[in-house]
Amino acid sequence: MDIKRNYYEDIELFKSNTILVWSILFLIFLAILPWFIMKYHLLGLSIYIVNLIAVHAIVAIGLNILVGFTGQISMGHAGFFALGAFTAVILVLRWSFPLWIALPVAGFVSSAFGFILGLPALRLKGPYLAIATLGFGMTITTIIKRMEFFGGRMGLQAPKLELFGTPMKDIHYYYVIMVIAVLMTIGAVKLIKTRVGRAFIAIRDSDIAAEAMGVNLTYYKTLAFAVSAFYAGVAGGLYAFILGFINPESFHLIMSITFLAMVVVGGLGSVMGPICGATLMTYLDIKLQAIQDISLIGPALVTLSQKYMSIAGISNIAVIVYGLIMILIVLFEPLGIFGFWIRTKRYWKTWPF
Amino acid sequence: MMKKNLIWVGLLVFTFFIAATASAQAVRGVTDTEILIGQWGPQTGPAAPWGAVARGTDLLVKMINDQGGIHGRKFKYFLRDDSYMPAKTKAIAKEFVEQIGVFAVVGGVGVATGMTARDYLMENKVPWGGPVTGVYEWIHPIQKYLFAVYPLYDDEAFNMTGYLHEKLGFKKIAMFYQNDDYGKQGVMGVERYLLKHKIKLVEKVSAEVTDRDLSTHALKLKNSGAEAVIMWTNPTGAALILGESAKIGFKPQWATSSTLSDSALMMQITRGLWGGMITSFFGELPDSNHPLMVKYREAHKKFAPQERWGVFYYAGIIFAEPFFEGVRRAGRNLTTESWVKAMETIKDFQGIGPPITYAGIKDRQGGKHVFYGKVRPDGSIERITDWIRITK
Amino acid sequence: MFGQLIVSGLAVGACYALLALAMVIIYKTSEVLNFAQGEMAMISTFIAFTLLDTYQVPFPYALAITFLFAIVLAIFFEMVFLRQAKDPTVLGLIIITLGFEMVLMGFVGWKWGPDQRALPFPVSNIEAYTFYGLIISKINFWTLIVSLVLMLILFLFFRYTKLGIAMRATQQNQLAARVMGIRTKWIFSFTWAISSMVGAVAGMLIAAMGVLDPPMMMDPLLKGFASGVLGGMTSLPGAAVGGALLGVIENLFGGYVSLSFKSVVAFAIIVLMLCIKPSGLLAKHYVKKV
Repeated sequence: MDIKRNYYEDIELFKSNTILVWSILFLIFLAILPWFIMKYHLLGLSIYIVNLIAVHAIVAIGLNILVGFTGQISMGHAGFFALGAFTAVILVLRWSFPLWIALPVAGFVSSAFGFILGLPALRLKGPYLAIATLGFGMTITTIIKRMEFFGGRMGLQAPKLELFGTPMKDIHYYYVIMVIAVLMTIGAVKLIKTRVGRAFIAIRDSDIAAEAMGVNLTYYKTLAFAVSAFYAGVAGGLYAFILGFINPESFHLIMSITFLAMVVVGGLGSVMGPICGATLMTYLDIKLQAIQDISLIGPALVTLSQKYMSIAGISNIAVIVYGLIMILIVLFEPLGIFGFWIRTKRYWKTWPF
Repeated sequence: MMKKNLIWVGLLVFTFFIAATASAQAVRGVTDTEILIGQWGPQTGPAAPWGAVARGTDLLVKMINDQGGIHGRKFKYFLRDDSYMPAKTKAIAKEFVEQIGVFAVVGGVGVATGMTARDYLMENKVPWGGPVTGVYEWIHPIQKYLFAVYPLYDDEAFNMTGYLHEKLGFKKIAMFYQNDDYGKQGVMGVERYLLKHKIKLVEKVSAEVTDRDLSTHALKLKNSGAEAVIMWTNPTGAALILGESAKIGFKPQWATSSTLSDSALMMQITRGLWGGMITSFFGELPDSNHPLMVKYREAHKKFAPQERWGVFYYAGIIFAEPFFEGVRRAGRNLTTESWVKAMETIKDFQGIGPPITYAGIKDRQGGKHVFYGKVRPDGSIERITDWIRITK
Repeated sequence: MFGQLIVSGLAVGACYALLALAMVIIYKTSEVLNFAQGEMAMISTFIAFTLLDTYQVPFPYALAITFLFAIVLAIFFEMVFLRQAKDPTVLGLIIITLGFEMVLMGFVGWKWGPDQRALPFPVSNIEAYTFYGLIISKINFWTLIVSLVLMLILFLFFRYTKLGIAMRATQQNQLAARVMGIRTKWIFSFTWAISSMVGAVAGMLIAAMGVLDPPMMMDPLLKGFASGVLGGMTSLPGAAVGGALLGVIENLFGGYVSLSFKSVVAFAIIVLMLCIKPSGLLAKHYVKKV
């Protein structure tokens, strides 16, 4: 039954026992996933790719709090991601902080900048906000590029971390990242169900109406930016360590766009959506580049390229496919993969009818 | 009796099987008939022009395979596109080692990208021959399995400044560079030389890789009164700064690094302004009569006629040659260690690139020579020096 | 130096202004922020390159064919992709244009490969005129002239022609416009076509000044956005003024303050501008009524 009898039922983490059971099963699945990957290389995955997906998922969940729930736009999340990455590395490298302190600090540094960006965003809407955030992201990375403190344009090598005396490998990072990702997902779910989350949604639906109802716009809009930037910052810190080397050039506009695409493709206004989006987009981004190696399609594409296009540019097919996915999802399933899931679920629930 | 025999035969087969699988799996990526190698290079995105290097290596592989391979083994080459994104490069490195199981990485375009993979490859003892950049990251600290080929930008810039100052007598030298590892190490070399000889660098101007308006940069260079300008930038940046300088009537002696030695391309995109440029070269000229070049050009016609025979393209051969020389010297019994040992015997190996030496030196920097050329007004190149040693 | 900085600032500003104009035309009528603008211009320029370089078509014909291509491309995109979106949000539309940008980028990379090229152009990018000690290259001079003429034409078009008035009506109130007998869908396609043509002009000029390669419009496009925001995204004269102003400010900053941080100036300006006057210099600020 979907009827809620009191307030506490509404803010409960698990709506029903079924969801609780599935969540636990999912956690077990996450715990044993590395074993399958290492043994069978499912779908050509490696643990590193799963780590990357999880990191992107954290950013996407955070971005979704801003975009999907509060109705703002950010095209500058690569900036926050970069801030987190550089802060975490510098803390560990220069002042030898342990990771578990460096990560939250990286998150808070990012969220401080998110707060700053939130201020002009109070007056901006839609496209203007998109451009302002875009400019903000570009400014952050350019400044990092030009300052020797951040290793300048040469980048920084993340120190190798140790766990009980042995150097940390992908598999160790996997569990660290998964714990953080799960915690942050629960955090997001909880946040949305509380007063704050409802204020966000009210702002999304109509900020003027929300203000009239007593939602403090200044406070909640900047808070949304800060929370979202916090997620990006923590993810950035993790990203720096799984990559081992960071360079400001990699945090460019395309990265911001990819984050946004993950949220939109996954599904705005849900927590599971961005996770699906991050998984799909990251996986495609990494795997599509070997498109000419796929059996059947590959050779056909090669002949096509040789005849009509250029063989040097054959990898660009991946870019085309990526772009088409973005367009088609918005056109045919505005709620993204999550919307697709809801429709499938509804179809089965009401099956014979 | 019969039964006993069977057991014996069974045991024998079993041991053979074990031995066979053991020998097959002893070296990752090496079987009796095949050696697997891989390379990443951007084929898409803004850095895609450099990706030609990775396709050039493919040509050399095809040529070697056509001649029957090395010691009875043919090469299988995996080219992966990382779009110059470090996160993808690392994924590719992991794919190479964990899934494909390559014997070695050959080439590999980019510093930021390669740096994410370097430690991982070294920890897994994957041989890496000839990263496609001349930066210190590959040899400091020295990596046992990493053999650099490209002459260091820093030394190249140092030597070029010396050439301009001592041989050509320029006193006022300015620098234009792009703000990345490549440009920065170029500046390092120029400044090192000038500091040593107590000369002032009259102007130092940098641009981002994405910048498309360099008019202010050109004006700054002009106002500095420089007689010679050294530039360390990508082809687009070079074409833009030359165009802008020509517009405001600034005509110094330009000089540039070996990465811009593709004078046919440069001549075309600068609309003829490239003439008079002094360039350093790390490989034979495209139309050179060097016997190997003739052979490679034939292979190019045969295997990849649709590719442009540019410097970036055949640079893929230059960076890979020492690796294959190492495989040749290691003999039939190819292992990671035997390859490293073989590489360490290489002395003055001459392919179409600079003479490569790993024997008897402490670092792993193989290429230490460049030569200078001056671009004629018609785009052809006048070779003005022989190979010069730039690393002391 | 001051004068020279202003002159070259105006020249590059003219290109930004053209791109900003192209974006403003679309934004004004359909409220779509077109991130594919740069890539649409880029692919048109590549078409021009193929015609001029490979097929040796005379310049005027090549120009005409390029314009035709630009129009077809824009109408195709508008009809096949944008129009199909069911009650789209601002974000949804942005994502569609971003996706289209990637498709175009990929297509150009696939068809023409990544190498840099030089666009054959009737005006030299090296020779220069000198006025009172100020040097202005021929191409920059003609860029200024072309953009001024284009702006004037567009201005007159929107002001005085029937079609222009219909477009403005559509922008102000789509429903009312339709009631008045304006075929709004047709108007949208037409807007996109004009915008794409203006973009193609900008693309060809930028390629003629520098180098033609797939990423050539990335930086100018962002600067075009900045110009649009500076002048006001709903004002045609605003876009022109914004572009010119941005070019000059950038160059002065690069010349006198810091060349290293020149590439940030544009973005710092937009963030500042949006804080002070969100609607831009020359556009009226509307407050939404509930």
